[in-house]
Amino acid sequence: MSNSLALAPAPPSEAAEAVRVEVREFLAAELAAGSFSTHVDTWLSGVDPAFSRKLGERGWLGMTWPRRYGGHERSAMERYAVTEELLAAGAPVAAHWIADRQSGPNLLRYGTEEQRQSILPRIAAGECYFVIGMSEPDSGSDLASIRTRAVRNGSGDWVVDGAKVWTSNAHASHYAITLVRTAPSDPADRHAGMSQLLVDLSLPGITVNPIRILDGGHHFNEVVFDDVVVPGDMLLGVEGAGWHQVTAELAFERSGPERFLSTYPLVAEFARRLAASPDPAGLVTLGRLSARLLALRQLSLRIAAALDRGELPDVPAALVKDVGTTFEGDVIDEIRRVVDGTPSLDSPDPLGRAMAEAQLHAPGYTLRGGTNEILRGIVARGLGLR
Amino acid sequence: MASDQDLVVETVKDILSGFPPFVLTADRRWDRELWGVLAEAGLTGVGLPEEAGGSGGALADAVAIVRTLAAGAAAVPVAEQLLVAGPAVVAAGLHLPMPAEVMTFVVADDVVAHASDDGDGPGRFVLTGAAAGIPWAQQASHLAVLASGPAGPVLALVVAGNLDLADGANLAGEPRGSFSFDGEPATGALLTPAQAAGLRGRFALTRAVQLTAALEQVLAWTVQYAGERQQFGRPLGTFQAIQMELAEMAGEVTAVTALTDAAVQSLERGSADFVLAAAAAKVRAGAAVEVVARLAHQVHGAIGFTQEHTLHHLTRRLWSWRDEAGSELAWAPVLAAGLLADGPDGLWPALTRVL
Repeated sequence: MSNSLALAPAPPSEAAEAVRVEVREFLAAELAAGSFSTHVDTWLSGVDPAFSRKLGERGWLGMTWPRRYGGHERSAMERYAVTEELLAAGAPVAAHWIADRQSGPNLLRYGTEEQRQSILPRIAAGECYFVIGMSEPDSGSDLASIRTRAVRNGSGDWVVDGAKVWTSNAHASHYAITLVRTAPSDPADRHAGMSQLLVDLSLPGITVNPIRILDGGHHFNEVVFDDVVVPGDMLLGVEGAGWHQVTAELAFERSGPERFLSTYPLVAEFARRLAASPDPAGLVTLGRLSARLLALRQLSLRIAAALDRGELPDVPAALVKDVGTTFEGDVIDEIRRVVDGTPSLDSPDPLGRAMAEAQLHAPGYTLRGGTNEILRGIVARGLGLR
Repeated sequence: MASDQDLVVETVKDILSGFPPFVLTADRRWDRELWGVLAEAGLTGVGLPEEAGGSGGALADAVAIVRTLAAGAAAVPVAEQLLVAGPAVVAAGLHLPMPAEVMTFVVADDVVAHASDDGDGPGRFVLTGAAAGIPWAQQASHLAVLASGPAGPVLALVVAGNLDLADGANLAGEPRGSFSFDGEPATGALLTPAQAAGLRGRFALTRAVQLTAALEQVLAWTVQYAGERQQFGRPLGTFQAIQMELAEMAGEVTAVTALTDAAVQSLERGSADFVLAAAAAKVRAGAAVEVVARLAHQVHGAIGFTQEHTLHHLTRRLWSWRDEAGSELAWAPVLAAGLLADGPDGLWPALTRVL
């Protein structure tokens, strides 16, 4: 019996290992120069446009995209190596993360030629940042219940009213790919009548209100749209096909190594502690965590290889995100069972600080990008149960 | 997905269809008839070189056979022979017994092998000390023993037919014997510490491969059962509570499959990090048993808790195999120490190098 959710093993990629070495050298030099310091969960919290531009200069953004849009026509396996090296180092990648991961690929799939030419090269340069406009105050897991509306006016433009929440770094970003209702909700087909709009966040009528998370950090926002006039040519893809497009976008959102490496800097600090003073219980814990991490890497590599084959592995991505984000939280629990210490954001001990950051961010791991309950529903469908 | 191993898998499945799993008891500890058919088909020598008397074929073929037999809860010692004892004996330059005969393997830290001075030249040893948990000890004609010696580890090959082995069994009823050697003569070869570690890794990977196949099959059985069993007027699998459990099982199983496959590839390409890869696979597969066996039984309800149902043939093997060839507690520190070998900042480079 083979497992229908297991993708084919990823073939070895020399190109990926070569770029991995380059990224590692770059990060070591940046750390030595003090251009950044390591933190937990930096793909949410580490906004640093200067750092993003450096990655763009080195060709490490938009890696898989066509050259004519500023991309580098490299493989998903190479991109995988670059992203996991950045995450493992706890580098500040939040500014460009969403744009590079899912908005760019979404534009490539569904955007007009003009949209692609005007935006993709700027994303690849590390200069243009995106937020995800999906969730709303009354629509979390039940995304099809969104109420933000867009209505065509007499000049063919869209007038948008409503609000989006949990829009990470909207205060530091340029565009929101916004899921809106362009036709009234139809109880017989809840997924019909939605569309995606490419919304410039500097347009009049948009208010960005900060929402602070548990460590006091400002990453989340509520973005309110009050009669915002969005040019008619900013429809992304097909009117009414928003649900289908979002599903594809979520496959990119859910499939990467950030779904198991958010707390890796804590594991690294734990390992440093153990290397200095090995104790048997600590080694058992590190061994168990490492085995889980190695398995997750193999799963994630398989997804990268599937992307290179042109597949859109949405069910395996949901599965990996479920297993991976569970791991991210378990890291905290497992380490504190064998390390006696007091976590604090201003601890002089790097392990205590990493523990504090990881703990205060922990509720988010299994919520963002689709709760693990939603993901398990997708996996159950993949098993043929629904 | 199609693979080069499809043919051998189909062959083994065809044979297995005539040999359903049965409850192993002291009266019937193994499936002698199945072993005979497999041996007749040359399947008990796959992956072992033809010039040494084996059937030839690749490691991937041997792994595919072991996986198929494990998923079918076949009571035959093929895994030990194809993936551990056979390759170990060949690598050590010892004479490979006929593949139709059962050869098993045991890690025996408490058995000491002394080179003997009986005039037969190098390669002769005498063994002293006790070994326990020897898989298929009563069924084996030959015993490959990883023993210790004054000059280093020794792989010794003992003729088992005339040994007085104590009977025993694991949680699944699979035979696991014990024996005290008292000057037992053996052929053997001195191993380097790295070779001995590699052999332990092979044994751990072998159990990981079996665990993986059994975990996949238990998931498949449980999904099938949830689709068929009706309660409250609808299939169990339509309840969200059950779907959450099955999805959690699927996550565990898929992670184990990916890691075990990678560890097998590590062995295939002769990676210097193979032992760490095997350690990781064994730790991860063993950890998955907790979740998968528990939830499989929960979904199956009371019928799965009986010998009438098929489920226990694999869940009892899962509970046994996870502790054989080194449990998570044995292998996790080996993995951790190996990953930390390059110093305090070496974890990430090591993780990305090992697999």
